[in-house]
Amino acid sequence: MAASERVLLSRRGFLAGACCAAAAPVMTPVTFAAMPGDNRFVTIILRGAMDGLDLVQPYGDPGYAALRPKLGLTPDGGLFDLDGFFGLNPAAAALMPLWQAQELSFVHAVSTAYRNQRSHFDGQDILETGGSDKSMKTGWLNRALGVIPQSGARTAIDINTSMDLILTGPNKVASWSSQSDFALAEDEIAFLERLYAHDAPFAQALEEARTADQSADTLYSDGIADMARLAGGMLRGDYRIASFSINGWDTHVGQQAQFRKAAGDLSTAIFTLKEALGEDAWRKTAVLAMTEFGRTAGENDTDGTDHGTGSLAVLAGGVIGGGKVMGRWPGLREDQLLDQRDLMPTGDVREIAAAILYRQFGVSPDNLTAKIFPGLSFDKSSQYLRG
Amino acid sequence: MALANETLAAIRYGYGLRPGEPMPGDAAGLLAQVAEGPTRRARFPREGIAGRRETATRIISLRTAEAKAAREGKPNEDIRKQTQREMQRIYWQDAMARLAQAVHSPLGFYERLASFWTDHFSTSALKSLPMRMVVPLYEAEAIRPNIGGSFSRLLTASILHPAMLIYLDQDQNTGVDPATAQKAGRGLNENLGRALLEFHTLGAGSSYTQSDVRAAALILTGLSVDNRALQVVYRPRFAEGGAITLLGRDYDGDEGEGQDHVLMLEDLAAKPKTAEHICRKLVAHFIADDPPEDLVAPMVAAWARSQGNLTEVYRAMLTHPRAWAEPGQKIKQPFEFVASGFRSLGLPESNFATLLRDMDTVDVEEGPVDKAMKMAGDVAGQMTGQSAGPMGLPTDDEVKRRSGRASSLTLGALQRMGQPIWQPPSPAGFPDKADLWLSPDQLTERISWSRMVAKSFGQKMEPSQFLEAALADAAGPDTRQIISQAPNRLHGITMVLASPEFNRR
Repeated sequence: MAASERVLLSRRGFLAGACCAAAAPVMTPVTFAAMPGDNRFVTIILRGAMDGLDLVQPYGDPGYAALRPKLGLTPDGGLFDLDGFFGLNPAAAALMPLWQAQELSFVHAVSTAYRNQRSHFDGQDILETGGSDKSMKTGWLNRALGVIPQSGARTAIDINTSMDLILTGPNKVASWSSQSDFALAEDEIAFLERLYAHDAPFAQALEEARTADQSADTLYSDGIADMARLAGGMLRGDYRIASFSINGWDTHVGQQAQFRKAAGDLSTAIFTLKEALGEDAWRKTAVLAMTEFGRTAGENDTDGTDHGTGSLAVLAGGVIGGGKVMGRWPGLREDQLLDQRDLMPTGDVREIAAAILYRQFGVSPDNLTAKIFPGLSFDKSSQYLRG
Repeated sequence: MALANETLAAIRYGYGLRPGEPMPGDAAGLLAQVAEGPTRRARFPREGIAGRRETATRIISLRTAEAKAAREGKPNEDIRKQTQREMQRIYWQDAMARLAQAVHSPLGFYERLASFWTDHFSTSALKSLPMRMVVPLYEAEAIRPNIGGSFSRLLTASILHPAMLIYLDQDQNTGVDPATAQKAGRGLNENLGRALLEFHTLGAGSSYTQSDVRAAALILTGLSVDNRALQVVYRPRFAEGGAITLLGRDYDGDEGEGQDHVLMLEDLAAKPKTAEHICRKLVAHFIADDPPEDLVAPMVAAWARSQGNLTEVYRAMLTHPRAWAEPGQKIKQPFEFVASGFRSLGLPESNFATLLRDMDTVDVEEGPVDKAMKMAGDVAGQMTGQSAGPMGLPTDDEVKRRSGRASSLTLGALQRMGQPIWQPPSPAGFPDKADLWLSPDQLTERISWSRMVAKSFGQKMEPSQFLEAALADAAGPDTRQIISQAPNRLHGITMVLASPEFNRR
């Protein structure tokens, strides 16, 4: 079978383990009814367009090495082999135990409905509004709160100083800050450097700030673990849905170092969530980390990548039946790329979210396709529910 | 870079652009603001000038009585603590009102001048607890009404205000002849005399001497404050007798009339050195650290022609071509930066009421729980009765978090950036050199603040549109491009506020 046609979706299907395996009995419908509102869902927004081809590298694809002469790795060069075709970037090494415990999965070549039009800020919003265009104004996770049958499962929290768009809307959501989410991500610092490039006193002040201990603490203070710990703590208590963001993925220039930091943050977040939730709650938790759009398949001439289309979703938690790289792999030959440039999206990231809302909270397919993700086709035969 | 006059005027002579607010683009329009300013009531003191005098004298009397009782062995801790809290609260409510004034007044040039003169005639709310109430009163009744009139009147109103006399220890300043000093139990205190020559009038380095400082201090003796009535009083028995010579004129003691200090102020106001000092300082503040002589000279000439009419001096500055050229030579001071940031957002004034309410945790610590619940709003309501998890935070923490956020956006930010409202570091006021406001720490604070503002108010804004509202044609092409490519909305908004263009004026 040619790599380009390779169907990576597990034969057992997404969430299958959660449904059927003894390790996660709470996913059976009976348990659902008996323990209303006991399941958890965490969304993590990877802001700035995460390079899915860098996090989970298709080293087995014949086109990969040529597209990524500097960024591409092989298992011999430190990449953690996942399944003989894909490998995990060593910057996310901390996640390997979860992979081995089947509590981690990836879905490759997914995207939102956004296709490089208008402002890319609008494109970023679509991930959170769940719409097919910029017309939606509220967040899909907020709308989901209104149709979750078990009221006990409806308490949601946004870990932020203010509400992220994904949880904005008519339904009540608490917003909490870990007081340390002001840190700047690497890509944001790089943009500030560009902003000050033509004003020498500003450029110099920023440069000194980056090296002075106290200022650097303010700029970089590592808030990711705090955020994840706060989210985990709240979910262990009475909250059932939580959302927070990890910045730092807009890697136009010098991607390797920036990506290492951002991927490290993502690993820290997932790992810390598991720790803070504790074993019982983690067994009932699904974590979905997703990004607005992907990056160009090829490297640019500043050792980075530019805004693209298809990317990757990360799934973690005790209910997800992990250890798989899912999604339909489109291939990396020039004629297989979108506009000869981007990883071709073969899946809608909303469908993954819909599957989790259906499985974790019993949200009906009708509600999912009408209210939460208008324009999405989703039913019980979804590839993410098969198995 | 040539800017539209309206843009330059808003940034250089006002507190920046505010969506929907027209800014004049010429001298006449700016001077009209100076004329209109005093006809509008300032947002502070919050209870008005007469109201503040009532509040302040009531609290001061209460504390005086308590202090007396304490000396007699009957202290009342409650009164002391309660009044202390009340004074603190009055201060920060007024300080928030001062920020709101800068943000919401459409008379930008008048407001900037009010800050300039309040800083020129510095007094500090940190001097004592009662000064927390008196300094806002001082700006409202001594400075703001006199910004467009004669310098002599502004000088007299400022120096002869209780706030100035208290700040510079004039109540400690008494004559030095043995009889007087003994009566007062004190002696000469030169603080006000020195500040008067060095900062308020002639200026440092203008060749006056230590004996001039001493002479000025001696002429000021007898001047004091009735603390309970908050009135300036003249007490002849503490005044130095005999003739005192200052800068070639004899002030002969006029035996109890108590007018020598007024004559001295008028004489100092009329000195050419004073005109030069002030004109130079105005240009250094508004336009460039090193004032071009060809801009200062016509201002000094206008001063001489008009006997120190400040409107004429401003006119001479604003009608000079340099007043409209080479923007961006100064760095906004923190207060200007924060005020202009709020202006660029175009928020309704009710926003300040919300921030003020969030900050108002003064009573929470000891007050009833329901007050805390009310203030914490929906979130607290939702948390009620829940057994929070190991990391779950109790309601009080949420109240504190909101309070902390409101403060970090406003008064706390100004504190961290080194320019707390009405708290200059010395009688010289806040530093005004551009490079002092562009240190690594300062920039870090400004970036953090910008980010917090973006999170709090900018979530739904389009960065490029916000850039247009905040800077119009003052945004350079690189900045435009970088903002449009920002990694995320939040950082786009953050970078608008943190941009060189937004921090320069």
